[in-house]
Amino acid sequence: MRDPRLAPFRWPLAAFALMLGIGAAGAAVLFVRKIGLSPEAVRAFYLGSEAAFRRPRSLEGLLEVAVPHLLAVPLTLLVTAHLVGFAAVLRPRPLALFSGVAFGSALAGIAAGFGIRFLWPGLAWLKIAAFAGFEATLLAWMALLLALFRGAPRAAGAAVPDADDPAAPREGLVARPCAGLAAASQAGGPLRGTAVATRAASPARARPPPGSPR
Amino acid sequence: MRFLVNRAPDALARARPPVRAFLAFAVLLLVAGAAQRAARGALGPAGVEALYRPDGQRFGSVAAWEALHAGAFLYGFLLLTLGSLLAASPASPRLRGGLLAVSTAGALLDLGAPLLPALGPGFPGWALLHLAGFAAATLGLLAASLVAFARFGAQARRPDA
Repeated sequence: MRDPRLAPFRWPLAAFALMLGIGAAGAAVLFVRKIGLSPEAVRAFYLGSEAAFRRPRSLEGLLEVAVPHLLAVPLTLLVTAHLVGFAAVLRPRPLALFSGVAFGSALAGIAAGFGIRFLWPGLAWLKIAAFAGFEATLLAWMALLLALFRGAPRAAGAAVPDADDPAAPREGLVARPCAGLAAASQAGGPLRGTAVATRAASPARARPPPGSPR
Repeated sequence: MRFLVNRAPDALARARPPVRAFLAFAVLLLVAGAAQRAARGALGPAGVEALYRPDGQRFGSVAAWEALHAGAFLYGFLLLTLGSLLAASPASPRLRGGLLAVSTAGALLDLGAPLLPALGPGFPGWALLHLAGFAAATLGLLAASLVAFARFGAQARRPDA
């Protein structure tokens, strides 16, 4: 772990990542066992099946599943993205893109159930694709959380999580966006939690001279 | 997260009232969870076996997977929040580590034990393992809540503690 101040949070983070993985595994098993992985099975689950003596899903039944997920999924993604972004494991753009994919696939997965039942059965493909995408992003978030406390190298110019910090330097100081806590600690300065390092040595590291090997 | 990591004494002092209110709710949640299981008759091996009905299902019962799916969310957030608040509290690292380890191990047993019969029919003692895990997780998290309630924001801690 690069920032020694994150060390006490190592095990709570590991426990959270573990439970995230277990929850994702449980979701995958439940999807396969209750719904199925083929579009026909998905349609039969939502629209009912005479052969299986299964009735179509009611609006109440769909909401019973959707409402807790509309709370749990965004909350989980928010906390995970916040933790990963806070430690600046990813650059801002990949972090935003990755968050967008995760939130988008979660929303598509929840909405697709209603769509199949009330709009168009052809959305069964969307349900499967959204679920697969969401599971993949969950696994990736889990890996990023683990990388967070394993001290994965951070790319230069990563997120500026503490940019609103009143302790951040203002006019007259050479400010360089960097990785908040991780970079501040790496630069050997006082551990004040500001994300804008003002070290004289920073530009050399942040911008190598033209032609130099990266 | 930032105020937890920075641990500026004034920030911790400001955060103390809402954090303690949150911890009181965490205690209520844990007690209510135990009461809910008691109401369902799931605080004894026979009740647990009736709840999950694992026999004859190759990959464990759907009820067990549903409990695992929902429980992982609950335990994940409790372990993260209570563990982080403990980490920012002036409690000994051994106590913090012990409480987190007991709670995590208990949670894993609580969630995973109902799936053990899928490994072999009539897996012995899975219901007792499940109950022991639930007890360990609940008591560990309750103790963590109480320690954090008493100690959070009491004084600034050393950054490397």
